[in-house]
Amino acid sequence: MRLAIMSVAHLHADGYINNLRAVPDVEFLGIADDDLARGQAFAEQHCTRLYESYDALLADKPDGVLVCSENARHLPLVLQAAEAGVHILCEKPLATTVEDCRTMIDACERAGVKLMTAFPMRFSPPVIEAKRVVDSGALGRIYGCNTTNQGSCPKDSRAWFVDKELAGGGAVMDHTVHLTDLLRWYLNSEVVEVFAETNAILYADATDEVETGGLISLLFDNGVFATIDCSWSKPKYYPTWGGLAMEIVGEGGFTTVDAFRQKITVYSHDRGRPVYKPWGSDADQGLINEFVASIREDRVPSITGYDGLKATEVVVAAYRSAETGQVVRLPLE
Amino acid sequence: MLRVGMVGVGVMGTAHLEGWAATPARIVGYVALDEQRAQAMAQKYGGRVYDSLDEMLPDVDVVDICTPTYLHREMTLQAAAAGKHVICEKPLSLTVSGAQEMIDACERAGVHLLVGHVVRFFNEYALAKATVDSGEIGRVAVTRLKRVNFQPRHAADNWFLDPAKSGGMILDLMIHDFDYARWVAGEVESVFARSVRTVDPNAAGDYCLAILRHKNGALTHVEGGWVYPPPMFLTGFEIAGERGLIEHPAGSSVPVGVHLMESQLRDLPAVGVPAAPLAESPYVTEIKHFYDVLTGAIETPRVTARDGLEAVKIGLAVIRSAQTGRSVRIEEVA
Repeated sequence: MRLAIMSVAHLHADGYINNLRAVPDVEFLGIADDDLARGQAFAEQHCTRLYESYDALLADKPDGVLVCSENARHLPLVLQAAEAGVHILCEKPLATTVEDCRTMIDACERAGVKLMTAFPMRFSPPVIEAKRVVDSGALGRIYGCNTTNQGSCPKDSRAWFVDKELAGGGAVMDHTVHLTDLLRWYLNSEVVEVFAETNAILYADATDEVETGGLISLLFDNGVFATIDCSWSKPKYYPTWGGLAMEIVGEGGFTTVDAFRQKITVYSHDRGRPVYKPWGSDADQGLINEFVASIREDRVPSITGYDGLKATEVVVAAYRSAETGQVVRLPLE
Repeated sequence: MLRVGMVGVGVMGTAHLEGWAATPARIVGYVALDEQRAQAMAQKYGGRVYDSLDEMLPDVDVVDICTPTYLHREMTLQAAAAGKHVICEKPLSLTVSGAQEMIDACERAGVHLLVGHVVRFFNEYALAKATVDSGEIGRVAVTRLKRVNFQPRHAADNWFLDPAKSGGMILDLMIHDFDYARWVAGEVESVFARSVRTVDPNAAGDYCLAILRHKNGALTHVEGGWVYPPPMFLTGFEIAGERGLIEHPAGSSVPVGVHLMESQLRDLPAVGVPAAPLAESPYVTEIKHFYDVLTGAIETPRVTARDGLEAVKIGLAVIRSAQTGRSVRIEEVA
């Protein structure tokens, strides 16, 4: 199987290339990027081929591509790949608008190619273990879920994360979709109401365009409520980039999962501050493996474009709620 | 010599008594539903048991009200009318008008009304507040507060579980963090919340997730519940500021571990109270502070009657939001 990456704008591309190379019998072809300097730097760093254009990359007939462009630029690349008959794993959020998501899903359906949304946390062993507890019914009736996906502002890794046009927003756009997707998956229910409050006090020196703090309240069709803290509340010098945690509370008890708790803390004279080094399993590898497997077995991937759309819909609703102060009902018109 | 009259000798009354014992004040009397327990307290701390608050009032300078919430208003008005200072457990009252009436009556009588928002006297919470005030983490942006324990389990008259008597979990338990949020991040403008019992009063447990918007733009997430398996009681906080972060994850500061082969559940307390081995319990610190205020050694109390009123407003707004499914401005319950 031959795979490639279209755009390395998203910092996850740095990890994905290693994941791709780790899959047996997968040939990694190379990358293309509309930002030549960015593409060159990436190609050099990872010793891979830089195609001169997306067309050139697609002309090489890969079986599948990863789309890792800026959030608002997923659409053109997905359409281009679909037209070339290439299966697609698209970075999250699938798009910054529900319309873009729908256009992508329709185009992939017409072209008969797979569209998978990159929600790697579904492959995190701690997240899977907690889902097993939920599925066992031991919690009884579930009341609510208190969840966090906080981080430091990713501007230093990629400046476009605080560019409202390219990113589609700030912390809410960056950090809401993972937990929305996990909650839909855990609860087997759809979000029917969204309320959100945002502010821009954190990292005020890094951006005046996008929100850096956000608290979102969700109500699911089955009556369960949840909150998501998507804030960029971790300082730059925090021991790690951030984290993802959930507490699921029910009549029969509660379960907690901290997806990045498996780490060692390292203090070194050179660094002058502690850092966490993770030793847990790499969830991204599970994501890439599933994409490859879905192509090999010619089946629908476990996470679809529709899952990406439903997560984006919550983000769009959250922005609408934060703007109006009102609860926003889903599905959106 | 400051003369103290205790009203109520339950979990909080007992904690307060330990506090009074650590001050020069004299505990002169008790009024309580559980007379036997009141007698036991009189044995331990001195003073005698009275039949009613009216009977006790002439003999005291301050009345310490540790009764179920629905009795706070009436007892405070009674004490104020007699010209006695009042210490009142939180929440101040079940209603805004009730709390306001209490404040007005105490002001007219020229007596203190001190509210038992004891979280302000917990070392970790006070230290975080002082750290914020020092400017070390800059302007507060997003605060997360957690306070979840097991359902109160009184053998008889479980008033905690009757919203008409306690205000329910939101007003009884989460009010601690509503007060703390306001103390740390400023006045609250509006709230949004979802909770179990506000929509399903017969649910076995209660759990609530609330979002507060402060007037200065800061946000606070408050998690509260009577839902954990006994004897679990977790509190924690995180304060993210423009220039730094304060973390105190739930359960992270338990310095002593005790792990026994046999369950010791028979010693389970009726109501969960967070405990930490300290030279002085927060309840003692609180009562010592109140003593200093009442004797004029400290001019401004760490928590004022108005703070108590504002916390009640936030609590009632959270309840209304959870009931109506919409965002509620604080003025709406004022």
